[in-house]
Amino acid sequence: MVGTAERMASNQKQVAISEFFEKNKHFLGFDSLPRSLITAVKEAVDNSLDACEEARILPEIKIQITRLDGKKDIIELKSEDNGPGIPKKSIEKVFGQLLFGSRFHAIRQSRGQQGIGITGVVMYCQLTTGRKTHVRSKIATETSAAFVDIGLDTRKNKATKSGEGRELWELPDGTLKEHGLEITARMKAKYQRGRQSVYQYLRMTSIVNPHADITFIDPDGETHHWPRVTERLPRKVESIKPHPHGIHLGTLQRMCTESTDSRMTVFLRNNFSGVSSRAAKELLAAAEIEEKAKPKLLNADHYRALLEAFQGERMLKDKPVKLLNPPTNCLSPIKELLIKKGLSKTIDSRYVTTMTRAPTVTQGNPYQVEVGLIFGDGMAADKPVEVLRFANRVPLMYQQGGCLLTKAIESVDWRQYGLDQAGGRGVPKGPAAILVHLASTNVQFTSEAKEALADNAEVIDEVRKALLEMGRGLRKHLEKKKKMAKTQDKFELVNDIIPAIAEKAAAILDRPVPNLSGSITRIMGAVISEATTSWNKETKQTDISITLFNYTTRARSYTLLASWPEREGATMVNNEQGGRKEASGVWAWKLDTLEPGQTLTFTYSLTGLERGDWTDTDLFYRGSQEVIGASKMDEKLLEEIRRQEAIANGEDGSEDDEEASEPTTKPVAPTVADGPAKTGQQTLMGFGGDE
Amino acid sequence: MMSAMHTSEETKTALHAVVAEMYDKIVKGEPPTMTLPVRTKNNIGFDSKLGVYKYGKKRSTRDATSLGSAKQLLRALHVVEFIEEMIDAGKSSTLREMYYISEAWGLGKFSSQNESNNLAEDLEVVTKCMREDFKLRPEEDGARMIGNLTLRERNRRGEWMRINARDDVGDSGYGVPYNVEEEKIELLEHDINFIMAIETGGMFDRLIENGFDEDYKCGLLHLKGQPARSTRRIMKRMSEEWDLPVVVFLDGDPWSFRIFASIAYGAIKTAHISEYLATPSATYLGITADDIEAYDLPSDDLSTRDVDALKAELSDPRFADPWWQEQINMMLELGKKAEQQSLAKYGLDFVTDTYLPEKLADLGLA
Repeated sequence: MVGTAERMASNQKQVAISEFFEKNKHFLGFDSLPRSLITAVKEAVDNSLDACEEARILPEIKIQITRLDGKKDIIELKSEDNGPGIPKKSIEKVFGQLLFGSRFHAIRQSRGQQGIGITGVVMYCQLTTGRKTHVRSKIATETSAAFVDIGLDTRKNKATKSGEGRELWELPDGTLKEHGLEITARMKAKYQRGRQSVYQYLRMTSIVNPHADITFIDPDGETHHWPRVTERLPRKVESIKPHPHGIHLGTLQRMCTESTDSRMTVFLRNNFSGVSSRAAKELLAAAEIEEKAKPKLLNADHYRALLEAFQGERMLKDKPVKLLNPPTNCLSPIKELLIKKGLSKTIDSRYVTTMTRAPTVTQGNPYQVEVGLIFGDGMAADKPVEVLRFANRVPLMYQQGGCLLTKAIESVDWRQYGLDQAGGRGVPKGPAAILVHLASTNVQFTSEAKEALADNAEVIDEVRKALLEMGRGLRKHLEKKKKMAKTQDKFELVNDIIPAIAEKAAAILDRPVPNLSGSITRIMGAVISEATTSWNKETKQTDISITLFNYTTRARSYTLLASWPEREGATMVNNEQGGRKEASGVWAWKLDTLEPGQTLTFTYSLTGLERGDWTDTDLFYRGSQEVIGASKMDEKLLEEIRRQEAIANGEDGSEDDEEASEPTTKPVAPTVADGPAKTGQQTLMGFGGDE
Repeated sequence: MMSAMHTSEETKTALHAVVAEMYDKIVKGEPPTMTLPVRTKNNIGFDSKLGVYKYGKKRSTRDATSLGSAKQLLRALHVVEFIEEMIDAGKSSTLREMYYISEAWGLGKFSSQNESNNLAEDLEVVTKCMREDFKLRPEEDGARMIGNLTLRERNRRGEWMRINARDDVGDSGYGVPYNVEEEKIELLEHDINFIMAIETGGMFDRLIENGFDEDYKCGLLHLKGQPARSTRRIMKRMSEEWDLPVVVFLDGDPWSFRIFASIAYGAIKTAHISEYLATPSATYLGITADDIEAYDLPSDDLSTRDVDALKAELSDPRFADPWWQEQINMMLELGKKAEQQSLAKYGLDFVTDTYLPEKLADLGLA
């Protein structure tokens, strides 16, 4: 039985709903014609990704935009997925009712915190073109697909439908669609290119959803395809109970009045995360509430006192009550390797580094920061770097300047890491893109538009730490590149130029070509190493060739060490030089004495890898004279690797818990890879962090 | 007058010495090198015997320990080989042609035209030969000349042609070829009292139109900005062989001062052959710094570059005499510069009727 007051409230809502839409369209993402189109695509894609994730299906999403009337800006948006589909009877509910769904109440990381939902699209279409939205849905248990045109009765906040029916959903190849959803919406909108475009939105979406296959056909008929780069679906996120640090008075009050628990200790333990029975007792003592008090019967003073105890303002024996942090397994980070793959597939560049920080908590909300940086050719060197911001895997495309993630980037002095930055402040310049992803159960935005993250000193610090770590990786890469270029120069000098000078001079003077070894030794005066790593198409192996040149006047002997992706499942073959394992991923060869002017080359291959998995071999040496092109072996680091290895082996079998193998004392360096890598590259500098 | 040119054999021997330096270093087990004088204003000094500025004793060694300089040495060898080929075949080429020919030199090819020009100069400096010995021609053309003077030039067919630079030429005057050595040009006779070198084409044409060359019995020479080597060389020859004074009429700015220095004392870049190119007896006629005030000429403010150039000139040994120091300081004080054509403020004839006669009278030439 519905009461009068409630009916009245409901009536008010009905009358106001289209007005509400009109008034709040900037919050809802429909304030301009280009943005409306992006919002519509976003709602459709978010729904598809969420549905696939929940049904554990690898998503295949196709978006097509057609200009129907260029002058009047009428556009048709068609979105198709391979998700579970929606049962016929639920279609109108999903598409025709505002704020449908459970995600507004659950405390967990989800995409959908950020919009009005697909209903908003239906409404926008109706308001701008008077057209209903065509929906076609196929679920696995039925033979045919259901289709229906959905509109919105803005007076009753209810769906109106017409043209219902069933049909066989045939795919272009003649087979029948197993399951999926297709939406065809006609709206007043404008297709634009650039930083804020459907293209950019989908590209960014594809970076943080490497498990998705996304196809986009733009209004000019051009097809853009971002393929899937991992078969692994994001971890299923769990809902968690609220944490006392993150609760507001109103919520606390509602929880108490709705509670059927018999006493406060039980209430606190059952309804909050991070509250042990000891903590429950202490909180109540601090708030001066009886342990056996009935939650339903608390008064306003009690709520306030309890909240103060939660916040640590009311203390017990001058100390705030200690609470456990909320569990962080409710978060689903993308993880370093997948970010790497995501970035590599959308930006063609050599150097990618990524870093996923351990999950942590701010104000009772678990959150986790991930950053990625891609650097190299193919991007403009004199323009600001591309900033790719994401919250819970959703691209943030507007209000870049006011966003916490941007501010974190701006707070780093990038000049020390090899990027240009006027005055050491602001978004740096250079051929790079920086990605920042914040995963959290409760993303705080600056405004309802949900395009920029609100300031939070802890979060900004966490992002900053990740960026600094990544910056160090970039600097190392650039230094190495520089060093390699220098070595290359020297090689060209002694291998090509000096012999050419000798020959030409001899020819002009009509004298014999002189012996060069003396000059070359004088010019180089060093021992030089060179490692080439290349993919062998025929054998499907990665071939590594290591050469050591002694360009000094004395005999030299060394132990040479090389990094290799042992932990990624590679096997070393054809290693005729022999040698032995020094530690996980580190192989060593004791070499024969090299006489002055002597050169030694040996090779080996790696199996069990794919093309692009391993593109750069790091060399190390033990010996007195410096070897250009290799680093002196850091024995302490080697010890550390062995220690970690032992820990990792001891904890074998623990599933999906890579944090355990990381040292707790120092932050984990980012993994560094040249080019897209399937398994990532584990270097001595960036050891650990991989699964 | 001693000829600037060397015989083919002399040239080859000089070039071989450069090659031998590299070769011998390799034989000794050292990096190959090329030793050459430092070519900056810090290494030029006045040669009182020749009356011009020459490179001093400072030498720099280019050795093959870095990729860049090793490539320079290799290029030098290619250039030497190329020059020898041209000498043997009786051909010549422009510097620009050599730059394109270097495309076939593999590792030794030039990466810019500037590089090939500089290397040709390096070789001149080291061997004390001239570009003409190397059969290398510049792209730049020489100056134009008008006046009652007669010379003969050997044309392409090897025949001598007698040319009077007043009667046998059109309004554009006699074009000075790139090679003005005796094998190509002989100075025969003249009926002029002095030679006037002029910076801009506009002023050159103004003086011709006003008949200045006939009224004042002079030869007019258009410098075209920083004068080409052949322009400086023919000035020098006329001045010495005919014993004629040379006056130089330029804009009144720091860059004109440098043009004058290169005419009278020798250019820094070509100090190795100053004695062939410089005319020590040349006089700076105008526009002087005091002209700007004295004639109340329309002027522009000095730019920062201008000021920097003037300050650099203060420490340039070629401007070390009191008159120049005074002029430079005066211009710095005024903060102004003026063009030749600013004289037109007082009418088209002012320059020929008033300004030049007054200036020349100071020198006893009018």
